[in-house]
Amino acid sequence: MKNISLLLVDDEDDFRTTLANRLKRRNLDVTDAGSGEEAIEIIGQKSFDVAIVDIKMPGMDGIETLRRIRKIDPLLEVILLTGHASVEAGIEGIKSGAYDYVIKPCNVNDLMDKVEDAFRRRMIEKGRAQEK
Amino acid sequence: MFKKLKFFNWGKSQRESSAEDNLPDLFRYKYSCFKMLLDSNAELLNVMSDLEEKLLGQQVFGMSYVRSRSAKAVFHALRMIKNLDDLSGHRYSLLFDTLEKINLKIKEILGRKKEISISELILPYSAIKAEMTDWVGGKNANLGEIHSRVGLPIPCGFAITTRAFETFLLNSALFDEISSKKMSIDPDNPGTIKTISDDIRQLIISANVPAEIEDSILLAYSKLAGDTSSVKIPESSLRISMRSSAVGEDSELSFAGQYLSRLNVPQEHIIRTYKEIVASLYTPRAITYRLNKGIRDEDIAMSVACLQMVESVVSGVMYSKNPLNMLEENIIITAVWGLGPYAVEGVITPDSYTVGKNGQTISSDISRKTVQLISKPDGGVTEIPVADDLWDKPCLSPENIAVLAGCARKLEDHYGCPQDIEWAIDSSGKIFILQSRSLRAEDSGKIYPVLPVLTGYPLLIEKGVSVSGGVGFGPAFHVSSDEDLLNFPDGAVLVARHSSPKLVMVMKKTSAIVTDTGNIAGHMATLAREFAVPTIVSTDVATSVIHEGMEVTVDAYSGRVYQGKVPELEAYQITGEFPMKDTPVYSVLREVTDLIVPLYLLDPRSPDFAPPFCRTLHDICRLVHEFSYTEMFKLSDLVSDKRGLAFKLKDFTPLDLYVIDLGSGLTENNLNLNCISPDKIASVPFNALLKGLLNKDFQQNQCRPVEFKGFLSVMREQMITPPSTAERFGDRSYAIISDKYLNFSSRVGYHYSIVDSYCSRTVNMNYITFSFKGGAADDVRRNRRVRTIARILQSLDFAADVIGDRVSARYQKHEIHLIEDKLDIIGRLLQFTRQMDMLMTNEASIEVLAENFLKENYNLEKIFFGK
Repeated sequence: MKNISLLLVDDEDDFRTTLANRLKRRNLDVTDAGSGEEAIEIIGQKSFDVAIVDIKMPGMDGIETLRRIRKIDPLLEVILLTGHASVEAGIEGIKSGAYDYVIKPCNVNDLMDKVEDAFRRRMIEKGRAQEK
Repeated sequence: MFKKLKFFNWGKSQRESSAEDNLPDLFRYKYSCFKMLLDSNAELLNVMSDLEEKLLGQQVFGMSYVRSRSAKAVFHALRMIKNLDDLSGHRYSLLFDTLEKINLKIKEILGRKKEISISELILPYSAIKAEMTDWVGGKNANLGEIHSRVGLPIPCGFAITTRAFETFLLNSALFDEISSKKMSIDPDNPGTIKTISDDIRQLIISANVPAEIEDSILLAYSKLAGDTSSVKIPESSLRISMRSSAVGEDSELSFAGQYLSRLNVPQEHIIRTYKEIVASLYTPRAITYRLNKGIRDEDIAMSVACLQMVESVVSGVMYSKNPLNMLEENIIITAVWGLGPYAVEGVITPDSYTVGKNGQTISSDISRKTVQLISKPDGGVTEIPVADDLWDKPCLSPENIAVLAGCARKLEDHYGCPQDIEWAIDSSGKIFILQSRSLRAEDSGKIYPVLPVLTGYPLLIEKGVSVSGGVGFGPAFHVSSDEDLLNFPDGAVLVARHSSPKLVMVMKKTSAIVTDTGNIAGHMATLAREFAVPTIVSTDVATSVIHEGMEVTVDAYSGRVYQGKVPELEAYQITGEFPMKDTPVYSVLREVTDLIVPLYLLDPRSPDFAPPFCRTLHDICRLVHEFSYTEMFKLSDLVSDKRGLAFKLKDFTPLDLYVIDLGSGLTENNLNLNCISPDKIASVPFNALLKGLLNKDFQQNQCRPVEFKGFLSVMREQMITPPSTAERFGDRSYAIISDKYLNFSSRVGYHYSIVDSYCSRTVNMNYITFSFKGGAADDVRRNRRVRTIARILQSLDFAADVIGDRVSARYQKHEIHLIEDKLDIIGRLLQFTRQMDMLMTNEASIEVLAENFLKENYNLEKIFFGK
């Protein structure tokens, strides 16, 4: 599988840094952002395959970030992360086009699988879009 | 755009095969969709069975349960739809709207929620009236009413309102944290309740009270210190009592002793005590109580009563009517030396006075009171011995009794219903009313039967005080610690030294309660009546005469306990049906469940088996699940003409079999090989199928005899059927596998069979779908063959249907080892069918072949030709 470029958005610095390093070790091209606003700015400059976005962030929250990301790039797959099981947020997220919803702390291998699946979805949806 | 689907699409989806070049990735992607769909399907089914159980009304739950489960159900239905839509290349988008319609209805039902609003953080009692319950809680509202409208003396003080509570807790991030923790409570597991309760209370106590609240409370306290008109008390030495006054308390439901109250609080501990009282909303017993009573957590708010501390010499409780017989016009007063808690906590047996309407004492029962509770100089309370000469003295003088009885009448007249009143008398002899609330109306007008003493049964307790009528039977279980409460068995009779409101945690489970001490006015007694638990207190001897495990019958009408079962009393036994069904939260659950659980789409072949006809989440779940099988079946259509992406299975003679790994289906990474051996397969369902395919009984008879007429029939058909319309399949077989998944398609000659299976530890996700179609020979024979297969499958507990020359069967939601066994048999069946093609000469052969297969006689030559 080609090198996946991933954007990791989470306001918790420790968590974000640790997770970013772990994903880099699995050959992902990881960029991280500490807020939704920062994420939107970065997406304006660089293209990504998959984004992992924490739901609960001060300022622009994860759902709003997801909506803006999908507006900028409808084929960018977004995996939502959440610290606790607020299922309503999961519902909003999926309605707004999130790929899936993962509860943290999560197993990095599982998350990695999810990222790959999300990437496959991006490739397939891309092919589909080109066909039209 | 949704199009009506053919149930099985045997052709291939052109769009997909042309659009995606990277087929393994497409398979992996589809498989990941399918896995998520199955995962959510299992979760949704769990939620539904949980909801159904709760609907029986025997288990307890609160509004946050209904909310969280509904949200969970909607989430998983949504996730199923999304994944089916992805899996199918967006042919099911219509289902999103179907779900949204149902979701809106659910939200509407859940959205009917009570609002609270007031701007003041603090209110003085002069400003509080009974109708302000939502802002200051029942206890404060009644104190305000007693002070301003009834004109009876209450201690000076102020109320911390629910506005303060909202600011501190409800509208802060703290509440979100609490809510998420609450979601993981298992109401029937006291262990989880305790752990979560500890977490939540720790959260609250370590949080900071916003400065505006802290300032307001301390300012009110300073004013109180200056205001205590009779004697000027230096600010720092004023002590207050801080009592919980939860919204909803003292109105319809009695929250007797469920929340924290602290006596003798010095200035420096006020803020911390405030947090402790707020946190007491989440003690295990408060959580249990709310669950039991179906009270919505969102509707609970904590106000606090801050009252100048009354250093009482005598205190107690009175009932303006006898709660056991409200037809009787007598007032019941109980009293202890010192502070009030000992009058209600069951630690000592208080004096009990029965007072007539005119204030005259009708009878008094003076108990021995060896200890009392007093304020400590540095805050808090402590137990001290009562002076010897006061042990057996009545706490109340006839004058006190007359004044108290007067207060009781006044309160009953004001409120228009019998009252449950707490009072205290200070060293100067002044009487204060500390709280008043309606006595539970449930017992009014009810006269308990007077049961005779029954001979022929050992009488263990002759005369206890009956505080909650009824008859209960069960094995005795002694409770002396919190741990005992956690281990309390269903249906046991609870035996304890003291009565305690803590026992509420097991009131749902216990068939009766018998204690050594305690009294009719105790908190526990109130709770026992509410939960309709037959209860006898003040027996003195219960813990010594009723041994652990002994079967006893408790006659709580008459205060007697018998050893063994007393059949004569059975008619009086309380059935113990839990009253969840009458609560507001139950009716919300009922309405919501009606949109989740019922299944209306029963028949996949009906024209109504389509998105517009889904009325419930279960309908959606069923539909999506069914369509997902169809979609997964089609995986094999994508693969048949592609080369070079599969591994050929080595040394596998019966079939030309290729394997595609979706992940973890092989024991090692075989990327550089183009051939693998069967022992490298790690897929559980594929291994099970292979076991059957490779069954040694089939190895000897590879050459099948072709019965002459049958052979002619094959020949004729080939000659008369134009090649373009014949369903001639490819000659390869494919196994698309993962560790838990198998899609096996076998196209041999004119046969086409598909086995699709998921095999995991989650029983709900497991299934086998099997389909067999086509074949040479005439229609009659083909139909006979599929009927034979159907007969065999039905004998193996599959649900099987025959349409024309196709049989479709499903076996689902079984343990992993059962799935494996069935796959093994399907493997053998596939081998068997290859050999039986030409033997379907008459109707009888159906029975013969099916019977022999099930007996594991696979040698057809032997069956038909006796060889």
